[in-house]
Amino acid sequence: MLLLAWNSFRDRWQVFAGAVLTVCLGTALVQSSLLALVAAATAPVPDHLAPEDALALQGAYDGAVTLLSMVLALAAFTAVFIVASTFGFTVAQRRRELALLRLTGASRGQVRSLLVGEAVLLGLAGSALGTVLGLPVMRAQTWILERFDFAPTGFAAEWRPWAVAVSLGTGVLIAVLGVLAASRRAARIRPQEALREGAGAAQVMTFSRWAIGLVCLAGAAVLYVLFPGGGAPLPVWFIQLTPFLVTVPLVVGCSALAPLAVPLAAGLLALVFRGVTGELALSNLRSDARRSAATAAPVMVLFALTAAIGGTLATVGEAGRQESLRTVDGELLVAADGPEAGIADAEGVAVVSAQAEVLFELAFAESGASWYEAHYGLAVDPAAYAATHRVEPVAGDLADLAGNAVAVSPAEGREREWKVGDTLRVRLGGEESEVRIAAILPPSVAGPEYLLPIGLAPEGTGPWEHVVRLDEGADPAAAAAHLAAFGSVTTAEESVDAAAAEDERFTRDTMIVLLGMTMLYTVIAIVNAVVIAASNRRREFAAARVTGLARGQVVALAFLESQAVVLIGLLLGALAAAASVLGAAAALRVITGTTVVAVQWPLLFGLALGAAAVVGATSLVTALSATRTPPIRLVAARE
Amino acid sequence: MHTTESPVELAGVTRVYGKGDAAVRALDGVDIAFPAGSWTAVMGPSGSGKSTLLHCAAGLERVTAGTVRVVGGDITNATDAELTRLRRTEIGFAFQTFNLIASLTAEQNVAMPLRLAGRRPDRRDVRAVLDAVGLADRRRHRPRELSGGQQQRVAIARAMVTRPAVLFADEPTGALDTKAARAVTALMRSMVDERGQTTIMVTHDPAAAAAADRTLFLCDGRIVDRLERPTTREVAARLAALED
Ligand SMILES: Nc1ncnc2c1ncn2[C@@H]1O[C@H](COP(=O)(O)OP(=O)(O)O)[C@@H](O)[C@H]1O
Ligand SMILES: [Mg+2]
Repeated sequence: MLLLAWNSFRDRWQVFAGAVLTVCLGTALVQSSLLALVAAATAPVPDHLAPEDALALQGAYDGAVTLLSMVLALAAFTAVFIVASTFGFTVAQRRRELALLRLTGASRGQVRSLLVGEAVLLGLAGSALGTVLGLPVMRAQTWILERFDFAPTGFAAEWRPWAVAVSLGTGVLIAVLGVLAASRRAARIRPQEALREGAGAAQVMTFSRWAIGLVCLAGAAVLYVLFPGGGAPLPVWFIQLTPFLVTVPLVVGCSALAPLAVPLAAGLLALVFRGVTGELALSNLRSDARRSAATAAPVMVLFALTAAIGGTLATVGEAGRQESLRTVDGELLVAADGPEAGIADAEGVAVVSAQAEVLFELAFAESGASWYEAHYGLAVDPAAYAATHRVEPVAGDLADLAGNAVAVSPAEGREREWKVGDTLRVRLGGEESEVRIAAILPPSVAGPEYLLPIGLAPEGTGPWEHVVRLDEGADPAAAAAHLAAFGSVTTAEESVDAAAAEDERFTRDTMIVLLGMTMLYTVIAIVNAVVIAASNRRREFAAARVTGLARGQVVALAFLESQAVVLIGLLLGALAAAASVLGAAAALRVITGTTVVAVQWPLLFGLALGAAAVVGATSLVTALSATRTPPIRLVAARE
Repeated sequence: MHTTESPVELAGVTRVYGKGDAAVRALDGVDIAFPAGSWTAVMGPSGSGKSTLLHCAAGLERVTAGTVRVVGGDITNATDAELTRLRRTEIGFAFQTFNLIASLTAEQNVAMPLRLAGRRPDRRDVRAVLDAVGLADRRRHRPRELSGGQQQRVAIARAMVTRPAVLFADEPTGALDTKAARAVTALMRSMVDERGQTTIMVTHDPAAAAAADRTLFLCDGRIVDRLERPTTREVAARLAALED
């Protein structure tokens, strides 16, 4: 069996080269993400650092670990998804060959082990290359991490010997996992498919396709219903994970059910595609729904993940922006290095709240174990803060926020059980002390999660922000001019918008780090799928030309089909992404009371046009090269 | 035993494709036994059910009614594993399109059924079969380096290598020119004469049918006539009458 696997591997290398490429890139990506993750998780924090600096550095590494875990998860998912769909596809294209094996006496088990044998070969070849390619990918990834401030300067991942074993193992595992479903399908190929033309047009919507599709849809639907959390607010970081929880299963489900979308899309396109070429393109699309679905799969995963992650982060950001706008009850903001007491006495100023971010740790001890959690709090003067912000505590009173007291806006499950009067252990500026919860704030998207009295802020806290409410009838421009002496002055809206812009930049950077490499991978997979699909169609194209189509018409046909396939991918991807964004919006509504949905239209349009261009160009090139030989030579060619 | 005389027997075999208005009765109550060591040709107009007959007799297609016995065993309700075992040991196939595995050499193609059956192919056996089909010198060639007639002979060698009880052939000369067709027909005749190979062949070629021991004529899924050792001319005349 292995010889046969090797032989068919050697002979169909154009098709398998594509599969090797996907395994290779997938392995490289997974290996690089893993090494970067390990580097971030084991990065040493030097002893000589001041407590705040050490805390900040540790926080930066923790952030990198979180982000890299997601990068790793996305890379692994995408690799398995792409490899699985590539394999499923190549198996579907080899029905006749496999039926022939069945006819000459191969059992179902032998067909399965042939395919698994191939997968092992492909996995080994791909991951051996991937191990090597992983190094430059790792450099690129750590460079991106550092460049976008997701890792401290000087962050470096290093290659580790065990990576070879892990990568080879991963590569082979990904390939074998990918081929399992396809090989089960292949084992059901009936021997007489080798004999009857068209007997190979097997049922496309198999039981397992239905099962996987419906289970994934149901899973996503359940999560979707759970998302508003039965009225209890969810932590914002958890809401940001909706793409992983909702879109990922939907991508799997949609790709299983994709053949059903083919006739739908074809019906839609029938309104646009006219003439004999258009009709032929649509009937090709319909008659090989599996091929159409397989080519659409990488487009779908690219669009779904980008749109879902981008849309969810943007929606959270927009909800935060609107919340901030509603909360701030002041006209101007003054940013300065230290708290400026003089602002209160300036002309036209009714009240001013000086506030600064403080990094502190909560100490926990539970059943023998003890640990610290870093949090940001806002140091404020409670009366001034209450006068310049529309915040109603759910319990307690902001006026009690003095001495060793804090106010919290509970986000996590554990925090929700806190009551006014509870004590917490905090570590601040290197010292541990007990604080009392004076007030519980309503849940919030933009924060602050903790309010501390100014007295608790350690020496050297800053920079400080001053929220200024002007006297009734005071001229903001004149007041701004006076206040310019204390620091840089902006209007409250400007400041919220600047924060939102900062947030958007952060979202963009996060997406680049999270998705950049993975998306590059899917783009290559898209090209790959088109090339594989075309490699099996020489004869079909030749037959079309013998029937009377000009070469140009055949190429146009392939191009139209490719655009239809892109449309299918985009539609399904949009569906999977929309569910995530709407789920996030529903969860945010519980917190803010308003419904906000943000969609990054320019990004999505760019992506859609890019996918159409890449697939269109690839299909033009492959169709041109597949039609270079005079058709009669191919039609007459023997097997 | 009865079965040694007739390795393949069909009793009341009916095969219906589709349901309701679209139902097609491809075979309609066919009773036939194929005697051991004989070569039977099956002829008839296109769509008369020849391929269906062959597929049902070989256990590739389930019958709607009736029973099929192959080398004594009733395969009407055989499991996939039983049918696989049958294909490995008792049955060989040769078809119009030669269906060789493009990536394997002639020798490797011929050895494939043995390897699939888990047997270590004996090089001499494989060469002997290739020799018998006159291709000993082409054993390292791949299918695309062989002519159509040569590919068909490799396919027949592959079918013969397991020494099957029955050889099934569906239009084995259908894709060949007259000269190559004659060579393949002569090869099959010698297999029957020298090895006593029971052979069932669907064909459209009166010359090929004339080389067989007897010819059955199918029309609309029924056996309508049979001729023993007819001449090419007789076969052509009978077929022409049926196709009118
Ligand atoms: N898989 C199938 N589904 C539906 N009808 C079929 C199928 N296979 C064969 N038929 C029909 O059964 C009849 C006999 O077919 P076949 O045995 O291939 O004829 P022959 O080989 O004599 O040309 C034809 O009418 C054909 O259309
Ligand atoms: Mg036929």
